[in-house]
Amino acid sequence: MEERKKEIIQTITDHFKDAVSNPYDGNRVDFTIPKQQIPAILFYLKDEMGFNHLSHISCIDWLEDKQFELVYILWSYTDRVKVFVHTRVDREQPVMDNIDMIWRQANTYEREIREMYGIRFAGLEAPEEFLLEDWQGPPPMRRDFDTYAYAMKTFWDRQEARSNAQDVRETIRRRTGEELPDFAKKYSR
Amino acid sequence: MREKATTLYLGPQHPGITGNMMIRLKVKGDTIVQATTEVGYLHRAFEKLAERRNWLQSFTLMCRFCVPEPDPVEESYARAVETLEGREVPERAKYIRVLVLELARIASYMLWYGGQAGSLGLYTIGQWSVGDRNYILDLFEELTGGRVYHMYIWPGGVRRDLPMGFEEKVLKTMDYLEKRLDDYEDLMFDNAIFRKRTIGVGIIDPEKAIEWGVVGPPLRGCGIQHDVRIDEPYEVYDQLDFEVPTEEGCDIWARANVRRREIRQSIRIIRQVIDKMPKGEFYNKIPNPHKWRLPKGDAYVRTEAVRGEVGMYIASDGSEHPRRVHFRGAAYVHAVTLLEDLLVGENVADVSAIMNSLGTCPPEIER
Repeated sequence: MEERKKEIIQTITDHFKDAVSNPYDGNRVDFTIPKQQIPAILFYLKDEMGFNHLSHISCIDWLEDKQFELVYILWSYTDRVKVFVHTRVDREQPVMDNIDMIWRQANTYEREIREMYGIRFAGLEAPEEFLLEDWQGPPPMRRDFDTYAYAMKTFWDRQEARSNAQDVRETIRRRTGEELPDFAKKYSR
Repeated sequence: MREKATTLYLGPQHPGITGNMMIRLKVKGDTIVQATTEVGYLHRAFEKLAERRNWLQSFTLMCRFCVPEPDPVEESYARAVETLEGREVPERAKYIRVLVLELARIASYMLWYGGQAGSLGLYTIGQWSVGDRNYILDLFEELTGGRVYHMYIWPGGVRRDLPMGFEEKVLKTMDYLEKRLDDYEDLMFDNAIFRKRTIGVGIIDPEKAIEWGVVGPPLRGCGIQHDVRIDEPYEVYDQLDFEVPTEEGCDIWARANVRRREIRQSIRIIRQVIDKMPKGEFYNKIPNPHKWRLPKGDAYVRTEAVRGEVGMYIASDGSEHPRRVHFRGAAYVHAVTLLEDLLVGENVADVSAIMNSLGTCPPEIER
């Protein structure tokens, strides 16, 4: 496996001059690369190197560096090696390339990252809302989102809780564009 | 004649659905023309909570990611932390972990028997299997103190050693279950209704399966033999002798047969584990959790759960708190992109059977 790992590192650093290989033990190969080259390196890893299983896409907020880190983890069933591809995205203007034409399940990961971290994926076609409903505040997984203050404001100090509550029928109408039936309007606030 | 497409909301309150999620179906007559997964009923922000807790406090959240099978998630978190820190785990702890994981696998399959059969109207088998599952939960209660959530496999090993006479009890339960499995199989797999409703329903294209991210029993139901326990052996799976069953067919029937045969393999693993279990330490003690810092870096480990490959990504900035804990569930792919695709062209009545065969678990999607 060590030889195969060396071969992978050699091929990738030959093809992508900006890719930096980070040393790791075991079956892990690790690269850092500028964000513009992410679709190219993932295409290459999938089509030429046999890393056809997208295992994970994760995002980390490095508030002190003013950057987001995106991590793509791929697995090769033939070589039994996993590849980590790291990239950094500017926190002020978080824009990233969409990769759901390479693996369509990436769509789900990107939707979640867009909602939780506010990173825009260029060309991602999916409804804005995924896990959160009627969310107005900042993306909640960012480090500067104060969970405690939000919880106190929303659940503790809330005045007139009932009258402020959302109406689920309205949400359905807004999401789907369907008009509410008359009997539902009668009960709608 | 042109039929008008009707929108049908399946879930979140529906007896056939596998948890709190909704599928918005566009149907023409009985046939589905479009399906969209809608989640958002179950988001508990565990990953955000983990960032405010220390490494050990976060561990108590991990088992709650997936209700039917909490142990693989616990194990993957523990192993990710150990990988990042480079902490050794005693050999006995590894064997105990495998024992717990395989017991959890059988318990989860018992629940699946109920769900899969119940979604096609065969209710008796669910009552039997969920009843028999209680014998495994009894074992868990004796070992860990909890029936469903165990919080037993923690970083460094396991929380306590096996109680006296536990091995005999496990073996006795396995003998009993093995006899009962024949009854389940007679009732479910020889049933004409079950055959008719599952063969040729919910077919996954085997050539696209790997690219689409299909894992676990649905992948093995396409005749592709991949299992994390074999591909990337963790704990002591490389020292144990077991088979990974595959089936051709790619439909619900094939996936059900894979699971049926896997239960027997799990029983085989448990017997080997008890036979080979070494004596000795079961816990490599961690330092004071409030001062326990992990080195800067990240780790990703994969585990084979009942639903397929699950993974745990953790990142540390060198402090006492995790910088990021991110769980990858099999249902994250199965229940969104794959399910939306599979349902098109199927009958409305088969939706819950397909969902059960894919091992859909909404808490895994939302966390």
